[in-house]
Amino acid sequence: MDAHAKHEGPLPPLWHYGETEHDPISTKTLGFWLYMLSDALIFAGLFAAYGVLDQPMNAAGGPGIAKIVHPVAAFWQTIAVLSSVLAYSLATVALKTGNRNGVLAGIIAAIVLGIIFVGLEFADFASLFAIGATPDTSGMLSAFYILVATHGLHMMFGILWMLVLIPQIFLSGFNTAVVTRLLNLRLFWQFQASVWVCVYVFVYLRGTIQ
Amino acid sequence: MTDPHNPNPDPLLHSEVQQASLAGYISGYTLTVVFLGIGLLITQLHGLQPAPLLVTISGLAIFLLIAQCMLFFGLDVSRYNIWKTVSLILTVPLFILSIGLTVWMFHALGPVMAMPEMPGMPLQPTVLQ
Repeated sequence: MDAHAKHEGPLPPLWHYGETEHDPISTKTLGFWLYMLSDALIFAGLFAAYGVLDQPMNAAGGPGIAKIVHPVAAFWQTIAVLSSVLAYSLATVALKTGNRNGVLAGIIAAIVLGIIFVGLEFADFASLFAIGATPDTSGMLSAFYILVATHGLHMMFGILWMLVLIPQIFLSGFNTAVVTRLLNLRLFWQFQASVWVCVYVFVYLRGTIQ
Repeated sequence: MTDPHNPNPDPLLHSEVQQASLAGYISGYTLTVVFLGIGLLITQLHGLQPAPLLVTISGLAIFLLIAQCMLFFGLDVSRYNIWKTVSLILTVPLFILSIGLTVWMFHALGPVMAMPEMPGMPLQPTVLQ
């Protein structure tokens, strides 16, 4: 039986030919969220590699993880990264009312605290290099450096992103494109706090247990 | 919240902008700093045996990650965030598979690898060597 036999009046279109207005902020933030999940899977791979190589046998005669990590010193990094994330998050609270000075103050504070975090990480790496604990010493140390430095690299790109956004706020104001970028950066920056929780607990705190 | 019939809405009125929460962010920050501080304290005091200590700090990390999902990322089941929440839930098994199974498999290999070498029968080289 013909499916249209009982239909009265004009047939509804099978598809809509005209342009459909999408919500650019929602679609781009969801897209960026999906990117962050794939980025999280990169970290999952690095944590898996670290979990496998963090064995005394893989220290290859070099220093073990307990001699490498200093969780009390790394707690300052924890404070720095979380304060930076809080500062940027508060910038987006100021964004709700279009408070440009509030947004800029939050971003600048986030940059400063982010630079402090990266500086502390470089200082930590320099002290490890000074005692001969270089990435080529053992598989365990290679996995340690790659994992921690990948997070540090994310922090550096986040700082760069903020530096790029500041002139855009001055030049374009809070238009749809700039607001979308600010929101995606919030997601990216808060994600660094979540990754650092895993790094601090499973590398620094767990390292002292062994 | 945007009006779908208005092609040029004010971006600052979008739900993604308006979901920013001062109380949520400060709570997320405080919870993370305090609980990581507690984790630092219990590992430095050596009050627990290694195995229960590892379980405790792992539980602490999972608790903080869930708290951050709610307080920082603002994940919930509202119509604005449901797809973020669903995509995260669908990704969690991939984390468990990639980290959990890999580490478990290689740890299970550990006792085999640690076996003393028998005379005249060298160990087979493996990916760990």
